Amino acid sequence: MKRLRLLVAALAAWLLLVPGMAFAIDIKEITTPLGIKAWLVEDKSTPVVALSFSFSGGTASDPSGQAGITDLMAGLLTDGAGSMDAQAFRQRQEDAAASLGFNASLDRLTGSLRVLSANRDEGFELLRLALTEPRFDADILNQRRAQTLAALNQAAQRPGSVASRTLMETLFAGHPYAADPDGTPQGLAAVTPDLLKKRAAELLLRNSLVIAAVGDIGEAELARQIDRSFGVLPTGTPPALPPEWVPPTKPRTVVVERPVPQSTALLALPGIPRDDPDWYAALVMNHVLGGGGQQSRLFNEVREKRGLAYSVSSGLRTYKRAALLVMSTGSANERVAEALKVIRAEMARMRTDGVTEAELNDARTYLTGALALSLDSSGSIAGLLHSMQIDGLSPDHLTRRASLIAAVKLADVRKVAQRLLRDETLTTVVVGKPVGVTPEP
Amino acid sequence: MPLLGRRALLGGLLAGAALPPAPALAKLFSVGRRNAETFTLANGLQAIVLPSRRAPIVTQVVVYKVGSADETFGHTGAAHFLEHMMFKGTDKVPAGEFSRIVSRNGGRDNAYTTFDSTGYHQTIAAEQLELVMRMEADRMVNVHITEREIVPERQVILEERRMRTDNVPASLLDEAVREQLYGRHKPYAMPVIGYADDIRRLGVNDLLAFYRRHYAPNNAVLIVAGDTTPEKVRTLAERHYGPIARRRTEPRTRPSQGGTDLPQKVVRADARVAEPRWSRLWLAPSYRVGETKYAYALQVLARLFGGTETSRLSRVLVNERRIGLSAYASYSPSSLGLTSFDIGVHPAKSRSMTDVEDAVMAEMKKLLDGGVTAEEVERAQNQLLAAAIYSQDSLASGPRIYGTALSTGSTVADVDAWPERIAAVTADDVVAAARHVWRDDGAVTALLTPAEGSR
Repeated sequence: MKRLRLLVAALAAWLLLVPGMAFAIDIKEITTPLGIKAWLVEDKSTPVVALSFSFSGGTASDPSGQAGITDLMAGLLTDGAGSMDAQAFRQRQEDAAASLGFNASLDRLTGSLRVLSANRDEGFELLRLALTEPRFDADILNQRRAQTLAALNQAAQRPGSVASRTLMETLFAGHPYAADPDGTPQGLAAVTPDLLKKRAAELLLRNSLVIAAVGDIGEAELARQIDRSFGVLPTGTPPALPPEWVPPTKPRTVVVERPVPQSTALLALPGIPRDDPDWYAALVMNHVLGGGGQQSRLFNEVREKRGLAYSVSSGLRTYKRAALLVMSTGSANERVAEALKVIRAEMARMRTDGVTEAELNDARTYLTGALALSLDSSGSIAGLLHSMQIDGLSPDHLTRRASLIAAVKLADVRKVAQRLLRDETLTTVVVGKPVGVTPEP
Repeated sequence: MPLLGRRALLGGLLAGAALPPAPALAKLFSVGRRNAETFTLANGLQAIVLPSRRAPIVTQVVVYKVGSADETFGHTGAAHFLEHMMFKGTDKVPAGEFSRIVSRNGGRDNAYTTFDSTGYHQTIAAEQLELVMRMEADRMVNVHITEREIVPERQVILEERRMRTDNVPASLLDEAVREQLYGRHKPYAMPVIGYADDIRRLGVNDLLAFYRRHYAPNNAVLIVAGDTTPEKVRTLAERHYGPIARRRTEPRTRPSQGGTDLPQKVVRADARVAEPRWSRLWLAPSYRVGETKYAYALQVLARLFGGTETSRLSRVLVNERRIGLSAYASYSPSSLGLTSFDIGVHPAKSRSMTDVEDAVMAEMKKLLDGGVTAEEVERAQNQLLAAAIYSQDSLASGPRIYGTALSTGSTVADVDAWPERIAAVTADDVVAAARHVWRDDGAVTALLTPAEGSR
């Protein structure tokens, strides 16, 4: 005990602890001549322009009988446009050293463009073609469909994928969020070029657009390029939001058998919406419990002390109509039951005792400082500006964020822990050949 | 069609290129120069500084010139096990505190082990560079390796092995393929994480011996990228790494031969495989071992033959003939020993492994007999050079590139000359390189298939 005190004293003297850095980037809000809004961070230190954007509506609004069409459509937007087939379109991107891609999440259709600023005309022209003249040729549709089916097949064998899928199906039974974003064999089989065109027309609406740009481009130039790429898109009504989610009210444990030596486990609780007043208290609580890296309680108890897992963490997830707190780990089949027990004990400890003053301070400095760590490339900065807009935040949020985190009190953390970490709403999924894990239907 | 020519890209990457860059690319030119500053401390620690003002953060990486290929059979996994133990404390920093201190100061840290190197990295607010330097220097020589800490960590590593290898059929196949390709119990044949039996066997004395043999300032490279200056880094490095004594290290050796009974075919039939894969790996020269003159042409070859969806393999096997769902070729010359040139195809439904193999062989023959066009070569070069420019837009890429190069026997000058050397590759070079590597007696064919009767 004495040795420990000495160590702590030595450590305090040795390390100069300073509070998290103050941080600001200059975000400009622009409106184009055609009335499209965007955020811009002009950065002349890089010869690159990065764009991150999205439209309302994602895979959760796949039309009935066409499960997988939105994801397929997103990929096919860059598989041929205008007079170019897929090969020609890709070659032109390669020649311009531009990368353009689309993805579908449950709630949104997102896209990104990265191009050397010297080639930005070509980059925005390819973006215009992809958005307004996609071809959806039958040939490339068949190719992408076959690839997606193969990926679904293989995912059904991968323990991590099976666990994620099973978790969503269990939590969201009867709700659109339960569906696999990649679709089903039946849904994918039903997709035709005409249906893809229809789906693109439903989603690619100018009035549901959110755009962020970063890099070597000025306001006027960005406005001109945005109008050129997005200007001819129609306005309209985006797909209706899915219904509100009714969170589970009793604990469940689902076991899926797979012939692997290590079981993958996910434990999920109803989470907290992004605009909830307790959001920052929840961020702190999650950080101490199992967030960010190698300092959390779960890391310490499950990995460091007991060697029960290599990977163990927790995270907050938010969707348009739901929020989750998900903990995950992987442990030998014979030991996974013990890992689950330790995780549940940590939930209980957090619920009863909250966090310590020291943990609160550490979480504050980490959460304040870590924001800057994600700003290491044009694309990542554009991604941050884009998600801030999706979350309904204003550009000055980056300067206000530190004080919001600093305002979190011990009592706030305990309150949010009691609100979220409830055994009676815990859904557990274990994939492997776990020993001593009993399913609870 | 507005096409950015190779020449223009080169202007962006070459310091002192013969042709001045076009005005529009002046910025490219300055970014291309990058201002990597290097110096070496009296104790032999080599330092590289990559300043960038974009965000008020810095990344420190210390790379040791030791990896799993420096282990012997029976002690596999030592380099990686030691990497884990480096977080178990010194007199000044208690076990587990290294990462907590980084975190409570708003930073992130981690570490990695490869065949040829072991790296430790932190990204943190610029004014905390001294903090992470002090701690990294401290654990270069003062780490505690105790039985108490080893016992649970061994279980952690076995779980890591289950997660990365035993749970993943493709990884298990890869282990078996490497044994054939490089020769059983030889460097690169044994897995980085180690065999499970060895992980269970490694103890305090093994890890301490490995630590003392390989961790020294003269066997390490310090790389700092981000919001700092070479002067500042030099001052701090002198202060914290400077006092650490040099140690005698043995030269690293790697075999110049691979497996002795090639060609081989390795099959893994596994109930956990839903989609089969055909692949073939050829022993290939790296920047350091074998016919190293082909190292640049092989990068161009991999790119134009199977590097993108417009490459030959993708165009013919996937797009036109529908034999494969996807196809790739890959080659990395950054190795202290031999490396491999890999080709792989996921067969389309109802296509056999033989169909795929025949089609790949036909494309290889076509390339060897008919050559490649100057346009194909230029496109591939263009893509490689563009990737190099984009890598300078990210704080993580620079340290990764220099760290890999310097731990595999290359120099800063090699890294800086890379664009020029890639650009100098001709169509004839590409064919000559392919002819050199695609030999029957230097290959292993690897088949990943669903278990018998499971499909």
